[in-house]
Amino acid sequence: MPRLTREAEITWDGNVARGSGAISAASSGAFTGLGYSGPTRIGNPEGKTSPEELLAAAHGGCFTMSLANELCKAGTPPEHLDVRCVITMDEVEGKGHQIVHSEIRATGVAPGCDEAAFAQAAEAADAGCPLSALLRASATVAVTASLS
Amino acid sequence: MATDRTAAVTWKGSLMEGAGTIHEVGSGAFGPLDVSWASRAEEPNGKTSPEELIAAAHAACFSMALSHGLAQGGTPAEQLDTSATVTFQPGTGITKIALTVRGTVPGLDEAGFVEKAEGAKAGCPVSKALAGVPEITLDAALA
Repeated sequence: MPRLTREAEITWDGNVARGSGAISAASSGAFTGLGYSGPTRIGNPEGKTSPEELLAAAHGGCFTMSLANELCKAGTPPEHLDVRCVITMDEVEGKGHQIVHSEIRATGVAPGCDEAAFAQAAEAADAGCPLSALLRASATVAVTASLS
Repeated sequence: MATDRTAAVTWKGSLMEGAGTIHEVGSGAFGPLDVSWASRAEEPNGKTSPEELIAAAHAACFSMALSHGLAQGGTPAEQLDTSATVTFQPGTGITKIALTVRGTVPGLDEAGFVEKAEGAKAGCPVSKALAGVPEITLDAALA
């Protein structure tokens, strides 16, 4: 398959403590001008997204497609999957702020698939998801899965 | 203090023919956003993808780190314009991220700006989380 690219654009005004930025999806236009700031990144989000929330959406989206693929390969395509991803950023002594953990919880309906096979598919989905592999550079990744 | 950020995704059907939605994020700032394999691996057709979200996360994180570095150096930025382009090879994963930044920074020369940008690229949390990407490039210049 060919390589493909996806692009995002950011503008930022001012410093970290009092400045603010805006995030746009340049390739798809699916979102534009999402505001973000230092205080809402670390503290209460107050309706603003952050790099970590975008990572949670990316990892959740990537893992979900990977799980759909594994269930199809096993001959039990999913009717419905629900995946929740929580990204944790923390200050690590001597290393500053780091993405330290991604927690994925998947539930699903896949006719013909039992609990053990669903858990196995989730494990394979984690192994096959390119973002799971990448995030392990600085973070732990934990996956739990059960039929809904 | 640790910070948690959450996203919830639903999916219906197979990978190739099915479709999903990033239906909710913790902040409520966006969503629902549709995703599908076709729009991820071919033309986006108005739909986002994990790679576009990674581009957004990385460019946003880099911009904030650069603004911090510039302020610490006594030359705060007036404005930074950043883009990140993520290259995805189906079957392999993310093979490259290209960061481009143009800045308006009173009192700082080109070499000083490039040095601060390199520091932000090395040090921002998303860069560190994506350190396994084979190639991350930076094109930094004053506006």
